[in-house]
Order: sequence, then C-alpha cells, then structure tokens
Amino acid sequence: MGKRAVLARRELRVLSAEKTILLALAIQLFIAAFSSFLVVGLVSVYNPGTEAAVLEPVGVTGNASDDLLETLDERPGLRAREFATEEAAMEEFAEGRVRAVLVSEHRDDRIFVTALAPESELRTTLTVVQVREALRAYERDQRGERLAFLDARPLDLPPQVESSPYYGFTYTVLVPLLLFLPVFISGSIAVDSLTEEIERGTLELIRVAPVSMSEIVDGKLLAAAGLAPAQAAIWLGLLSLNGTRVARPVLLLATVAALALAITGMGAGVALLSPDRRSAQFLYSLGVLLLFGGATLLPGDPANTVALLAVDSATTGTYLAVGAYVAAAVGVYVGVRRLVDRIDPEELEV
Amino acid sequence: MTRREGNEDPDSRSDPNADRDPGSAADAGSDTDHDHDGDRGDRSPVRSGRLARAVAGLRRLPGVVRIRAGAVARITRWEVTRGVGSVDRRTAVLGVVALLLASSVAFVAAASGGVALDTGVYRVGVPQDSPYREPIDETPSLVARPPSGELGEEIDVRVTADGFAAADARKGQAALSALRNAVRRHNDRVMGTEDNRTAAFPVLVRLRYADRADPTLPSRGTNGSDGGFAAAGGGADGAGGAGGAGSDGPLPVPNVGGGGAGFFGQEATGSPANIRPPFPFASLVLAFLFLVPMNFVIQAYGSTILNERVNRRGQLLLVAPIQPGDIVAGKTLPYLAAMIAVTAAIALAVGGGVVAVAAVVPLSLLFLASTFVGAMFARSFKELTFVTVAVSTFLTTYAFVPAVFTDVTPIALISPLTLVVRDLKDVPIEPLQYAFSTGPVYLCAGVLFLLGAGVYREEDMFTQRPVPLKFLDALDARLSGRWSVAFVSALSIPFVFVAEALALATLFALPIGVSLPAMLVLIAAIEELAKSLHVYAGYANARFGTGIRTALVLGSLSGLGFFVGEKATAVAQLVGLQNVEPLGRATFATAGIGVVEAAGLLIAPLALHAVTAGLSALGARKGSRWYLTGLVAAVAVHTAYNAAVVVALG
Repeated sequence: MGKRAVLARRELRVLSAEKTILLALAIQLFIAAFSSFLVVGLVSVYNPGTEAAVLEPVGVTGNASDDLLETLDERPGLRAREFATEEAAMEEFAEGRVRAVLVSEHRDDRIFVTALAPESELRTTLTVVQVREALRAYERDQRGERLAFLDARPLDLPPQVESSPYYGFTYTVLVPLLLFLPVFISGSIAVDSLTEEIERGTLELIRVAPVSMSEIVDGKLLAAAGLAPAQAAIWLGLLSLNGTRVARPVLLLATVAALALAITGMGAGVALLSPDRRSAQFLYSLGVLLLFGGATLLPGDPANTVALLAVDSATTGTYLAVGAYVAAAVGVYVGVRRLVDRIDPEELEV
Repeated sequence: MTRREGNEDPDSRSDPNADRDPGSAADAGSDTDHDHDGDRGDRSPVRSGRLARAVAGLRRLPGVVRIRAGAVARITRWEVTRGVGSVDRRTAVLGVVALLLASSVAFVAAASGGVALDTGVYRVGVPQDSPYREPIDETPSLVARPPSGELGEEIDVRVTADGFAAADARKGQAALSALRNAVRRHNDRVMGTEDNRTAAFPVLVRLRYADRADPTLPSRGTNGSDGGFAAAGGGADGAGGAGGAGSDGPLPVPNVGGGGAGFFGQEATGSPANIRPPFPFASLVLAFLFLVPMNFVIQAYGSTILNERVNRRGQLLLVAPIQPGDIVAGKTLPYLAAMIAVTAAIALAVGGGVVAVAAVVPLSLLFLASTFVGAMFARSFKELTFVTVAVSTFLTTYAFVPAVFTDVTPIALISPLTLVVRDLKDVPIEPLQYAFSTGPVYLCAGVLFLLGAGVYREEDMFTQRPVPLKFLDALDARLSGRWSVAFVSALSIPFVFVAEALALATLFALPIGVSLPAMLVLIAAIEELAKSLHVYAGYANARFGTGIRTALVLGSLSGLGFFVGEKATAVAQLVGLQNVEPLGRATFATAGIGVVEAAGLLIAPLALHAVTAGLSALGARKGSRWYLTGLVAAVAVHTAYNAAVVVALG
C-alpha cells in the first residue's frame, strides 16, 4: 500500500502543480450556476406566482365576461379590468395599460374566449401562463355547473400552496449533476494520466523503480477516484451552507466513491487497451455518455438513486442500487487488475 | 475551404516567416530564435522596401497559392490516414462493444418503459380504494404509500376522506403541489372520455399574438370570427384524449416544425389546458443536439495538436519546407469536415435546413480555434482535458443562453444557435441577421487561429510554461512594433463584442437598478482588458522601453486601434440591438454608436480610450502588480465616463 500511496501522491502533486484542479472546480461551479441560471430564468418567466402585484391588469370584455371576471378575481397574481367594448380594451392594450385582452362570448352552450397577448415581450410567457391557469380554473368552474350532464365527476383538487419551483430541480438535477461531474472528470484524469505516461515514454522510467505495473495503475486509480468523493463532499457542504438540506450524506459519498472507482477503472482499462490518447478519450467519453445516458432509462439508475437519497425518499430498492454500484465497482477493479497482469508493459507503445 | 483562404492573406502580412520565399522556409525552424530581434531591427526603417516586397509578393501569388494548397492537402491526407491508422483493430472492437452495450441498455430500457429522473421523489399516503390512487399511480414523481405512515418521516402528504395533509416542510409543500398537478391532469384525461363534449369542455380558447403598436381586433382574425373556432371544436376533443402526453408531462416529446408555425409560436386553440406558452423548448433541445458532437471532435483535435508537442514530434514538420499556417490548416481541415458532416446529418435527421448548417459552421470553427489555442498552451493531456472542458462549457453557454430568448428580444441574435432555433421553426432568416449572428464568431475563430499559429514555432511549442504565460507569449508574438499595438487592439474587437453581448443577454432580464450599473462596470472592464493585455504582454517580454513617453504612446495607439475597430460594431445598429431599452443603448451609446446628434461624442470615445489605455500602459511597464493597479484605475475612469454618457443621454 505504501508504494501505491506514494504514486498516488505523485499524481496529485502534478495536478496541483498545474492548478488544473482549481480549473476543474471552477468549471463545475460554472456548470452548476449555468444550469441554475437556466432553470431560475425559465421558471421566472413561467411561474405564475412571481412578481404578480406590480403587473398591469388583464382586460376582459364580451357578453360572457361576468362569469370570467368572477373567476379571475379569485386568482392570486392576476388583476382583471372590465371593458364595455373590444375597441376600448384594444386602445388600452395599444397603450400598454393592459397585459392581455380576453374576449369571452356565450355561444351554443359553450364559452368562446379569444386571448390576445403581446408579441415579442419578455413578459409574454408569464402572461400566457397566468392566463392559461386562470382559464383552466374558469373551465373547472364551468364544468362544475354542468356536472349533471357528465358521467364521471372530476376529482377535487388539493389546495394550491406556495411551493418553490426550484425544490424538485435542486434534488433531481442539481445534486446529481454536482455529484457526478467529479466522477466524469476523475475518469478523464485516469485516461489522460495513463496515456500521457505511455506517449511520453515515462512509464518506462517509473518501471525502473521497484514497483510493479499493477501498483502504478493502482496509484493512479487511487488518486483519480479519491478526488471525486472529496469534491462531492465540498459540494454537499456548500449546499447545506446554502440552506439546502441533503439527507444521507454518507451513503451519497459512498455512491460517488463506488461510481468513481468503476468509471476510473473503466478509463484505465480503455487507456491500456487503446493507448493513443485520441481514441482512448473518445472511447471513454462515448462509453460514459452511453452508460449514464442509458442508465437514466433504467430503474435504479444513478441519478434517480442519488436524488432519492438526497431528498430522503429512499426505499429498499435505493439501498439495493447503492449495493449494486459497490459490487460493480469491485467487479471493474478486479477486471482492470487482471487486464494489467495480462498486459506486457513493453508492448505499450502508440 | 474557407479556412484555407482565410489563412492566406492575414498570414502573409503578419507572420514573420510568411513573406519569405517558400523555398527558404526550410530554415524557419532553426533561426526563429532571432526572429524577434531581427524583425524589430530591420522593419521599421525600411518602409519603402515593404511596398516593393508586397508588389513582388502579389506577382508570385498564384504560384504560392498553388504550392501552399498542395502542402495543406498533403498534411490533411496525412492527418486522415494517421487518424484512421491509430484506430487499430483493438480500438475498433472496443468501439463496437461500447455500441452493443449502449443498444442493449436502450433495449432493456425501452422494454421496461423508461424511468424519469424524479421517479418516486414524493411519497403520498393514500388508502387503496381512494379515487386519488389512480392519478398518483399515473405520475412517476409520486409514489403511493399506506396512509398510516408518519407524516414527514415516511410520507410527505396524506390523502384522507376529508382532505389533504402535508408535512410541515418544503418537501411537503412541493409534494402537495405535485399532487395537485397530477389530479388536474387526471381530470382532463377523464373528461376526454366523456360523451357530452359541451359539458366536459365548456370553455374554448383561441390564443393570438399581436403587435402592441398595430393590434387587430381579437374577434376579427384572419379566418373571420367563426372560422377560427370551427377547428377549435376538434382541437378541444383532441385535447382531452391526448391530455396524458400533453401540456403538463414531465418532458414533452419534441414536436418540431409543426405546420403553420408563425414567428411567435402557433396560434393555439382548444381547451385552456392546451395553451402552450411561447417558449421554443423543443427547438432549443434540438439545437443543443448540434453542440454535442463537437465536444467529441475537439477532444480528438486537441489530442492531435498536443501530440505534435509531445517529445518534439512536430519538429520534423517544422523543418520541412511548409508554412506553419499550412500545417495548422492541414491538421484542422479533416476535423472541420467531420463536424460539418455530422452537423449536416443532424440537420437532416431533425428537419433543419441549409441555414441551420450554415449557422453551426462558425460555431464549429470557434470550437476548433479555441481548442487549437488551448492545445498550444497546455502542458499535459490532463491540462488539455480541463482546457477543452472549459472551452466547451463557455462556448455552449455563449451559444445557448441568448437562444433561450429567441422569441423575446433581438439580443438572442448574438448567438448563431438562435438561427438554428428559428430555422427549425421554419422562420425565414435574413442575410443581415446571419451576418450579425455569425460575423463575430467567424472573426473570433480567425483571430484565435492567428494567435495560435503565431506560436506554432519551435521555441514555443516544445517549452513548458503555465497557460497564462503562454497566452502572453502568444499575444507578444503578434507584436512587432509600436503600430502593431493598435492593430492587436483592433483584433480584440470581436471578443469584446462577444463578451459584451453575452453580458447583455445575461443581465437584461434583471431589474434595471442592478443590471445597468453592473453592465457599465462590465463594459469598462472588458474593454480596458482588451486594450491593455497585449501591451502588458509586450512589456513582460521586454519588447518596449520602460520610459513614460513610450507607455503613453503605446496607450494612445492601443486606444486608437480600439476606437477604429469599435466603429465596426455599428453593425449592431442594423438589427436594432441598441433599441433594447435601456441596457442595449447603454452598451452601444458609450461607444458613440447610435449617437449622432452630438458631434463631440464622436471624438470623446477616442480621447477616453487613449487616456485609459495610457493609464494601464503606465502600470504595465512596471510589472504585474502595477499593471493591475493601472488597469483598475483605467476601469474606474472608463466606468465614470460610461455613467456620465448614460446620464447625459437621459
């Protein structure tokens, strides 16, 4: 173990000398911020609850506007203003004093609503979503009055609550993203580290020292795979500082460690079998993309497992999945060991 | 093809080796060490000799082009055969195994029906016979549990005969909200099976978009007041049936290029649940698809460039009678061709047209150019990996963030991806819009290739230095006299434009009290950095004398070059970017663009650029710490000026 630790320290020293690990952390932070920005940005144009009070009212007109106004008045975040004629409403729309115009008319036992929204405005999306929600409530009310004609009765809705739209995103996207990025990067480090030694011919130099090939590979795996849980721990700490409660941190880190060992092992295997860095990196990233992309379609996939652990909804199946990752990691490691024993280091040339 | 042509002209003027006879370039590798000094010594005095040489060069041009095209083609062939050669039998087998693995995973997944990311996140305690059981079972994010479970521990929401109880935590609220959506969806689906359509869907909605300046009455649409709704009845019937896969699903299946798409999304009709907000979600996802393969290609491309630098392998090529620019072009072409081929294939698959491909080409070039520069700077494969990831993260952001606002504001046009999104929605694109979107990207890619090719020489390729120092070296390699400072300043304009446009796209959605000051400071910082970095690089490589007068002259020249280059950004006016009130106006007005009424304001930016660049140059002559001080001072002055201009313009 001593030699392996020395070799692992050598790897880490090179990484810190190049300051690449700082760049790696910066990249991960940027990706997390970027995805959050996208979601926060999207949600703020989507979420009907935001900045409701300050917005202009919605103009309502037409011969069925009384019913519609009644429903609209009950909607939080949406003010309605009645107009006697369409022309009057349109004037205010052109002046920008109403956000949208709803023309509502009774015809053949139904109500026909024409909604007019402004083109090419940042707020249009928000307005359209709010109008949709209001009209769905209106539809429910109208359905309620026609229950006698329906075979099935619609279920009563649970009460509307103030709930952060970011909650689900934090646990199902952000946490898995932050925990898996270090794993992918570690695998890439393992590939680079091995192919580089082979290409530069420095593997020969290390081998002059009294260490075996498997100790060299072990040292590289130790360094690369060890980095992932360490980074994951930093992210979990930052999340809890930010007020996001993450359940079962120990199991989460164990999952990350197992996946990191499996992925770095896979990277090392690819690098040994195909030592040209171009093809090795290509095969590695293709493999990771396919594995993780494909796995999201399977029950017990890593992203979902991490989400369930973090949000504290884990089941027996979740724990079984974690066990399966550990088993897979051990399996990959054993496989790499056997591969290293079979490979003749003299033949490792590009 | 474009790449090669782009390489001919700028190279032969700015590359120190380029205006030699191709035949004598054989010794380029051995004497480049003296190039700096030699060039500086003999260039500036012999002005008239330059002209004669240029004329002679012009006369030789056809022959030179033929020879160089031949060299580029030879390197390309070599690169391709070597690339294919490195894919030995073992690699090919591994690739096939990976594909088999993937397809088997996909097969199993398809058989099991697929699992969403949020499967089973919220636990709902509900009796077996409750009518709410069905909507819960239909929704992946909800999982049914016995109602006896402890609230907050084993379940998040409890459904009882008389109502709902949620755990007293954010999770409970989120679960209740998810349940509400599930029940609503379920109701719509049940209603879809009703025979009495009038009672099941009593409200029909038609959504229209109108220009505020020129609205038409809602009831008088193009189809006449009844025609619009005649189809709507059918729409509502369809709505009920398709409710399950429809509006509220976790991720709607992309439905692209549906007929009748106007610029601002479809005119929806039907049940209120059918209204889709005008957000080009599906097109965005597909546009993102174009970016994915680039990450693979640049990995291979970065490897092949760095490979030349490992163990001095590239030395042989360097001493061969070939221009460095041709080597770079030859090594780049196959990868560019691969990217274009993949892009065309994707466009074919998702229904994009020629415009989509033409919009992705500049992005491909920029990906390759940044990777090339990164591979010229990186010390090891590990470092290259991080540089590559950083490059693709940044470029993806640049391409993606503005495209999100495709339907909302002209700012979106700064990203070529916006063109793709529009093309996928069958919106026509004007040539001017294409030029505006892709112009800066083409220019950035060109400048980056120029920067990297400048250090494609022995003393830079085979030395190990930290990336920032390599970057300074590359900037320095572009300098050859005082006037070149102005030239490099002008070259930085596309980057400044891209950076400012990205800042604009990121900030414009924020409240103006935050975004305007932030924008003013950002503009100042970006521009000052662009004007001073190469000056500092020159000082760091002891290219200029450290006198105060020299510094002031350099600063003025840098400011002048920047000022002239900045006028090119007037193209922003053509697509109406400065009309994005008030941020866009602040961005471009401070550069004197869109301001015609005050003649003084045309001269003012020149004076400002010269003064602030002088400040940073004064700092740069005394080392890194003083450079930072000078830069901060320059940014402060520039910000104050920007604020004054914005206030003056009201």
